[in-house]
Amino acid sequence: MHIEDGVLGVKSVIVNYAITAGLIVLGVQEIKRRVKENLYYKPFLAMVGVAVFVISAMHLPVPVTGSCSHPTGTPLAAILVGPFATVVISAIVLFFQAIFLGHGGITTIGANTVSMGIVGTFIGYFVWKLFRMFHSPIWLAAGLAGFIGDLATYLTTALQLAISLHGNVPLVTQWMIFFAGYGPTQLPLAMLEAIFTAIVVQIMVARRPDLLPGILMSNETRP
Amino acid sequence: MHPNATRSKQSAVPFFDRFTKVMLAAMFVLLLGVFSSAWYMSSHKMEGAGTDDVVNKMASKAASSESHPFIELPGDAELGAFSVANFFVGMIVGHYWTMLFGKNARKDENTAG
Repeated sequence: MHIEDGVLGVKSVIVNYAITAGLIVLGVQEIKRRVKENLYYKPFLAMVGVAVFVISAMHLPVPVTGSCSHPTGTPLAAILVGPFATVVISAIVLFFQAIFLGHGGITTIGANTVSMGIVGTFIGYFVWKLFRMFHSPIWLAAGLAGFIGDLATYLTTALQLAISLHGNVPLVTQWMIFFAGYGPTQLPLAMLEAIFTAIVVQIMVARRPDLLPGILMSNETRP
Repeated sequence: MHPNATRSKQSAVPFFDRFTKVMLAAMFVLLLGVFSSAWYMSSHKMEGAGTDDVVNKMASKAASSESHPFIELPGDAELGAFSVANFFVGMIVGHYWTMLFGKNARKDENTAG
């Protein structure tokens, strides 16, 4: 989902940057609020931030499709530190990946943040909240959040490219053409992200539920 | 027995503690997946390129303009950049993990609770 410099049109670049900027403001507010509530939130945020950096740069090969791709880590981050704070983390991560690792571009930080840090994050978080509302076990809700958030990220990237580049081709056709480049490889990786997200959230809740206020329901005991 | 010997026995840090064993096991399982996938791709003459590259090339064709990353890392420079970044990321995650989830942190939590 790391779109490089040079392919998105100026309009698309500006719109994506504007959306990202708006949500970063809300993210900074969420961080400020949570820092006041929880003494451990700052180091926790730092740990989750660097974890997202490495997870979203971890290229894994998928043999059947003959290509490699990477998970995103943002649904996990959204569950742990909150969705708006995850937008801030994503923008920072994508900036450093662009300048240090040659991964993505500078003009596309906005677009890449929208796909990975906003859509993937919020859809993953919504799935987490939805399943927890229906008293789903933590591992199941977290796993589904990871799976759906991951695929949502790549669907969004394909859509961003399609909106910018579809020309005379119908938008949906172009969207599916771009997604066909990601989908077959991303599906097994989304499953891997689901397992990883489920395990990490379950372990963290078992060890330090106090770091994740509100994660356990009133009728639940520490796992 | 010398008192120092007893003390050092009590505070001895195991060479392979449970956490290290679990982490190494997870790493080997993942690497086994990577190696077997790479072997399959190599034996079937597959390129193994990243989907990001594949789609960026598709987008370049559609846009009729060349896509490019912010910096080019040719050859082993990319491996070097990833290794350096991931080394320090690992150190930072480990540092905060110990601070937040280590034995002392959990003791503090239990005391406070």
